[in-house]
Amino acid sequence: MPFNGLLYGVVEALRSLYRNKGMSIASTGIVVITLLMLGSFMLVRLNINHVTKAVKEQVEMVVFIDENATLEERESLRANLVSHAGLAEVRFVSKEEAMERLAEIWGDFVAGYRSAEDNPLPDSYEIRPIVAENIVALARELERYPGVEKVQYGEEEFVNNLFAVLRVIQLISLALMGGLAILAIFLISHTIRLTVFIRRREIMIMKYVGATNWFIRWPFILEGLVIGSFGAALPLAALYYLYDASVGWVVSNNLLFLNLIAVPSVMLELVKYLVPLGTGLGVLGSLLSMDRFVRV
Amino acid sequence: MIEAIQLYQRYNEHNSFILNDLNFVINRGEFVFVVGPSGAGKSTLLKLLIREILPTRGTLKVFGQDLTRMPRRRVPYLRRNIGMVFQDFRLLEERTAYDNIAFVMQVTGAPAGEIRRRVPQVLEMVGLSEKIWDRVCDLSGGEQQRIGLARAIINRPAMIIADEPTGNLDPVTSLEIMNLLRGINIRGTTVVVATHDREIVDRFRKRVIYLEDGRIAGDEQKGVYVRAI
Repeated sequence: MPFNGLLYGVVEALRSLYRNKGMSIASTGIVVITLLMLGSFMLVRLNINHVTKAVKEQVEMVVFIDENATLEERESLRANLVSHAGLAEVRFVSKEEAMERLAEIWGDFVAGYRSAEDNPLPDSYEIRPIVAENIVALARELERYPGVEKVQYGEEEFVNNLFAVLRVIQLISLALMGGLAILAIFLISHTIRLTVFIRRREIMIMKYVGATNWFIRWPFILEGLVIGSFGAALPLAALYYLYDASVGWVVSNNLLFLNLIAVPSVMLELVKYLVPLGTGLGVLGSLLSMDRFVRV
Repeated sequence: MIEAIQLYQRYNEHNSFILNDLNFVINRGEFVFVVGPSGAGKSTLLKLLIREILPTRGTLKVFGQDLTRMPRRRVPYLRRNIGMVFQDFRLLEERTAYDNIAFVMQVTGAPAGEIRRRVPQVLEMVGLSEKIWDRVCDLSGGEQQRIGLARAIINRPAMIIADEPTGNLDPVTSLEIMNLLRGINIRGTTVVVATHDREIVDRFRKRVIYLEDGRIAGDEQKGVYVRAI
C-alpha cells in the first residue's frame, strides 16, 4: 500500500472514531470493563499462585535415621536420596546440628543433653520434594529405605486439604477468567460489527469505485487498534492504583503474612497480557466483523 | 470494449435464466442504451459488467479481459476503469461534494496535490463549482446525481456504466444529466445506460439494446424506446 493509502487510513480511522463518538466510547467502554474484570481476576490469581508457590516451597519432610543403622545403610541411604529424581533439596542435619537448633530455642533447658553421649536426637535429612503434592507418596517410599527410622511431613490430612483447596481456587479462577475472555471477544466483535454495519454503505461505495480489500480494512483495523489500546490502558491505570493502594493497606496494617507480589512485577505481568489482548481483540474484532461486507 | 458470447445467468438451479444466450459487442466510444421492462435482466447485465457477479455460463470480456477468469484481487483494478452511476446516487450523504469525489482518487492512491487540483475541475465540468463545500444531503436530487457523475469520471475511466441514472429525477434535470453523459461520451468514453426513460431514449437516438425475458429482442443503431418490428 502506498504512503498515501496509509495516511488516508490513519486520517479516516481518527475521523471515523470522532464521527461515531458514541459508538467509539461504547466500544472502548466495553473493552475497559471486560479487561478491568479480567485484570482484577488476574491480580487475584497471580497472588494466589504466589501464595501457593510459597506454601509449596515450605512443604518439607524430615527423614530420621535409625540410631542403629550401619555405616553401609547410612551411605546407601545418602546415595539414594541424593540421586532421587523426585527431590528438589536434600540436606543432612547431624544430631549435633539438631541439638544446636534446639538449644537456640530452649537454651538452658537442654544444656544437660548437649554432650555427644547424652544427645538423644537422631541424625536426619531435611527434604523438599520437587512436586509438593507428591509428599505423601514420597514419604511412604522413603520410609521403606533401610536405615530409616521414620519420616515426618506434618499433618497428612492438613497437607492434603491445603492442596485440595488451592486446586479448587485455581480451577475456579481459571474458569472465571476463561469465561470473561469469551465474553470480551463476543462484546467487542459485536460492537465493531455494529460500527461496520453503520458504515456498510461507505464500504459498498468503496468497492464500486475500485478500492482493494486492504484499503477498506485498514482504517477499521486502526480503529480497532485505537479502541483496543485505550481499552487496555485505562484498566491498567485503574488496576495500578487499586493494587498499589491494596499493597499500601496491607503494609500499613501489618498484614505481611498475606505476602502480596510487589507492584512492579504484577503490573509487568498484567501489561504482558492485557495490552496484546486489548489490541488483538480490537483488530481481530474489526477483521472478523467486516469480512462479510468486503466480499462484494 | 465489451464482448458477450453465449452469456447465461441464473441465481440458482431451480430458477429460470435471467439472462439467456446474450451475444453482443460494444465498441470503444459507443453510447448504448439498454432498455426493457422490469425484470428483463438489465441490472443483472450491469452487475456482470463490473464483476459484482459471475455468469453461470458463457464468456464476458471487458477491456479484452475475460471476467470469468479474472482473479478476485484484480477486480478493484477493473472497477477503477469503469465509472458507475446509480439511480439512488450512492453518495456519502454526510460529507461534502469535495469529499465524495476526492474519496475515489484516494482509493487509487493519487497524490494529495493531484486530488486538490482535479476535484474542482471535475465539479466545474458538471456545473457544481459553487457547491464544492456543501454537504451532499443538503443538495437537490439533480445536484446529487451531478456529483455522482463527477465521481464516475474523476479517474478518467474508459467506460461509464449508468443504472437508471434519471430514475429519481424530473424530466428537465434528467435531460441535463443525459447531456452531461453525452458530453463525456463525445470526449471518447464509452457509455452504457440502462433506462426506463422513454423520452430520453427517443430524444438521443443512440444505439439501443432491447432486453426481454433475459434475451436480446433487438439491437438498433439510432433506435427509439419502442422497438420497430
